[in-house]
Amino acid sequence: MVSLDQLKEEVKKALSSGKVKYFIGYENIGSGWQVRPAFIRQPEDVDRLVWTPACFHNLVRFLHDEKRRRAREKNPDIRPVGLVVKGCDSRSINVLLQEKYIERNDVYIIGVSCELTGVINITKLNQHLNGLKPQKVLFGSKGTFKVIVDDREIEIEAPDILADRCLECPANFPVIADVILGEEIKRNPGNRYQSISAYEKMALDERWSFWQQQFSRCLRCYACRSVCPMCYCDECVADSIAYAVTAETTADEKAQKTRWVERNPELSENIFYHLVRAIHLAGRCVDCGECERVCPVEIPLRLLNKKMEKEAKELFGYEVGFDPAQPPLIACFRDNDPQDFIR
Amino acid sequence: MKRTGVFVCHCGINIAGTVDVKKVAAELAKHPGVVHAEDYVYMCSDPGQNLIIQAIKEKKLDSVVVACCSPTLHETTFRNATKKAGLNPYRCEIANIREQCSWVHREKSKATQKAISITRGVVEKVRRNESLEDVSVPVTKRALVIGGGIAGIQASLDIADAGYEVILVEKSPSIGGHMSQLSETFPTLDCSQCILTPKMVEVSKHPRIKLMTYSEVQEVSGYVGNFKVKILKKPTYVDPDKCTLCDECTKVCPIVVPNEFDMGLTGRRAIYIPFPQAIPASYTIDEKACPGMFDTAIACGKCADVCKPGAINFDMKPEIVEVDVGAIVVATGYDLYDKSMMAEYGYGQYPDVLDGLQFERLLSASGPTGGRILRPSDKKEPKEVVFIQCVGSRDPELHWPYCSKICCMYTAKHAMLYKHHVHDGQAYVFYIDIRSGGKNYEEFVHRAVEEDGVLYLRGKVSRVFEDNGKLIVWGVDTLTGKQIEIAADMVVLAMAIRPSKGMDELAKKLKIALDKDGFLAEAHPKLRPVESMTSGIFLAGAAQAPKDIPEAVGQASGAAAKAMAILSRDRLFHSPTVARVIRNLCTGCGMCVSVCPFEAISLKEGKAEVNEILCEGCGTCSASCLRNAIQVKNLTPHHIQEMIKACLGG
Ligand SMILES: Cc1cc2nc3c(=O)[nH]c(=O)nc-3n(C[C@H](O)[C@H](O)[C@H](O)COP(=O)(O)OP(=O)(O)OC[C@H]3O[C@@H](n4cnc5c(N)ncnc54)[C@H](O)[C@@H]3O)c2cc1C
Ligand code: SF4
Ligand code: SF4
Ligand code: SF4
Repeated sequence: MVSLDQLKEEVKKALSSGKVKYFIGYENIGSGWQVRPAFIRQPEDVDRLVWTPACFHNLVRFLHDEKRRRAREKNPDIRPVGLVVKGCDSRSINVLLQEKYIERNDVYIIGVSCELTGVINITKLNQHLNGLKPQKVLFGSKGTFKVIVDDREIEIEAPDILADRCLECPANFPVIADVILGEEIKRNPGNRYQSISAYEKMALDERWSFWQQQFSRCLRCYACRSVCPMCYCDECVADSIAYAVTAETTADEKAQKTRWVERNPELSENIFYHLVRAIHLAGRCVDCGECERVCPVEIPLRLLNKKMEKEAKELFGYEVGFDPAQPPLIACFRDNDPQDFIR
Repeated sequence: MKRTGVFVCHCGINIAGTVDVKKVAAELAKHPGVVHAEDYVYMCSDPGQNLIIQAIKEKKLDSVVVACCSPTLHETTFRNATKKAGLNPYRCEIANIREQCSWVHREKSKATQKAISITRGVVEKVRRNESLEDVSVPVTKRALVIGGGIAGIQASLDIADAGYEVILVEKSPSIGGHMSQLSETFPTLDCSQCILTPKMVEVSKHPRIKLMTYSEVQEVSGYVGNFKVKILKKPTYVDPDKCTLCDECTKVCPIVVPNEFDMGLTGRRAIYIPFPQAIPASYTIDEKACPGMFDTAIACGKCADVCKPGAINFDMKPEIVEVDVGAIVVATGYDLYDKSMMAEYGYGQYPDVLDGLQFERLLSASGPTGGRILRPSDKKEPKEVVFIQCVGSRDPELHWPYCSKICCMYTAKHAMLYKHHVHDGQAYVFYIDIRSGGKNYEEFVHRAVEEDGVLYLRGKVSRVFEDNGKLIVWGVDTLTGKQIEIAADMVVLAMAIRPSKGMDELAKKLKIALDKDGFLAEAHPKLRPVESMTSGIFLAGAAQAPKDIPEAVGQASGAAAKAMAILSRDRLFHSPTVARVIRNLCTGCGMCVSVCPFEAISLKEGKAEVNEILCEGCGTCSASCLRNAIQVKNLTPHHIQEMIKACLGG
């Protein structure tokens, strides 16, 4: 079991020794069971921290803000930022390292093991409780969740309400960390590509109309992009409204701005945005599932990314986020790479 | 403010036959910003070019589009014309309406429409072009030749005679290559060593040739005109300046290993000289054979004890020598196909089944038998010898699909020379067909048949096995359909010619391509046969394809001439359409650094930086950058987008 006390202790130590600039973890929203990211700046605030099955947020994307802040400030405080990460989150740190977006000592990592469970999917929980309102959602013993409803305790088998990504997780244990809490217990992921198998069986035109339906709902609120630990570009190629204009931007560059996508959320523009994003995440997406979770119109974005993940694995034996020293997927070429799919 | 001129070429009927060129010109004249449009029968002709020059001057054009053939053909022509008219050459672009339009379509109205779209796209591109100046680099006036066979020797001599320095790198202890192992050479039957050794001596005495034997190329970086090469000089443990060739050492060396010069027919000592006329004239200690080299074993040191001049130095260390060169000639030659692949012919099993080079050694006056043809097994003179051609060649199913080219000729030579040595013997040759294209080659084969009574049997051999001291050869004569059985005393296999061992690693270091069979790939099979795809690297000899001596020498001189064309210049010019980093978009992820095939990009202070001299403008970086932060000048995503829009009529 991950001990919350130990977590607090570690965070307190890191803050009071001045080792970290601030610490990002999770805290409850009001008195409810749901959680949100918490920025802890003082050692005495560590009591706000929680660790529950509702800590599904990937906090790594906050490193982008920190990086931008540092670039702006004259004399930035360059101490590392502290983060709580799960297995999937830790892999996204590895990708950032691989892409040299951050350096290892920019971040102080407290890794938590998901042990025999993971994080929950709220929709699944609600369905399971069938209208009952949970007061608390906690880790149970040995592969279960403990939900308090009407002051009653209900044990739920983890697979019943686990987030889809946890069901398909290749490593439920942090692969990079300064401190690790909890035990490294291997949970057999079963079929790692279960969620896409139904879609892979669709005929091409069927798939096309499926995605057309999905994308026509997109609001282009860009929540998916904002939450993504990999979407850190200052100017996204899909942006047509805002782009980074700095002192270095020349008039020529400004004139040469390409508008690949119009701002209006029409189907053609939405498709362009999503396909570009999917391609740009190939070999980079660690399947933290955040984009799908935050989408207000429930577009199943994981399917796209999972498919790319599978292709990378099957075609090139490439696994994302396990080794910060390996070259990124699209930047590595080996003589024995398969070529038979090139027609 | 944009003033573009459009020039539509008929290319005789090549374009005008399928595309309504007048209509293309008329439509383009209406395109916004086009102030001049005309068509002409041959734009590349002098009058055609003059039309462009005149229009630029008179109409004050600021950009030019020539709608004609592929830019690989006349881009330079039209850019030069543009320059002559006082406009920056990079303000001129080609719209390819021949290869990409007229040649691939039939229906005139549609082809015309497509030609209009293509040209419109290029108009939109060219008006966004920057005026660029060529990048220029100085040239290192020195050549590297890799491989010291006859091809490498010839290339080195030609380049050095023209006044440039040459570094000749040979991996074995002596230059000479396979030619030094041959007895007499077809079609004239002159002694191979006699014509080769003067050239070897010339190399060793040439003031501008630096010979590096027992050395290998370890790393190559840089680009045409400015390659940086690391050469590994392996220790020979013998100081060639002190060695007097007294040969005392080999008399005391206790170790005997197969002699590669005699193709394993004899043995040599761990300390050895490959052959008496070896260049450099010195001994080498074979590290792998000498027990003195293993730190676990008791050092023997017998050779050092008897070496009066004290030439032996067990402490010699491998050395890395770094050199700068402007051009490289690769002449690494061939090896014979691995004979163990031919179990059905009993090679390796029966001592009297030989390959062609072993037979050359038997024929050679300096060979193991002093030029007498004797069986390795019992030293008796063979009276019936079967020669089998195309062993491993022309066999797409099991071995190699190509023809090894030289085997027909050397087999005729072998059979003929055998008859010259053994007058009462009989030579049989199994062949698929005889390929004797070459000056005096056909006559040579006829001589073997008519004057020397060599029996040519058209067909394949299925098996060779031993029976009662004889080698039984089973074959079919496909002309008569009869089964043939010959009880032979010796069998000689004309093994397929393969690229020399280690060719693929060397090709990787040089970043040059191999063809499907593993030989070095030429840039164009007809028009650029001595060039590799990488500029500044040239090919010579059997490394590019099986070749005989005259062809190898001819190609070597060709490669030398190509290398000299580079070395004779003070500066090389390089296209300025190279990649540029948009620094504020670059996050320094380094993906472009790893994908660039020319190693032109590095990370400096967290941002990508392009070396304009190394960059070939291929655009690979641009395709890999997730942020469009690296773009090829005059072909940015913006250019591409505007071209697409114009093509689609948007
Ligand atoms: C049995 C037989 C008989 C023949 N008889 C005749 C004949 O009568 N007449 C005729 O015209 N032709 C004949 N030939 C063909 C002749 O041998 C070749 O045409 C000639 O040797 C080709 O020369 P080359 O320099 O290209 O290659 P090679 O002679 O193979 O020389 C290549 C050299 O490069 C060196 N090398 C290889 N790799 C490296 C490396 N990585 N780094 C540094 N050095 C390297 C090798 O050690 C070698 O010294 C015969 C061939 C055979 C097999
Ligand atoms: S997919 Fe969802 S989260 Fe992403 S932009 Fe569209 S609506 Fe917003
Ligand atoms: S790929 Fe793009 S972002 Fe990455 S280093 Fe190169 S130019 Fe910069
Ligand atoms: S265009 Fe880019 S990838 Fe191609 S050579 Fe230049 S820097 Fe390298």
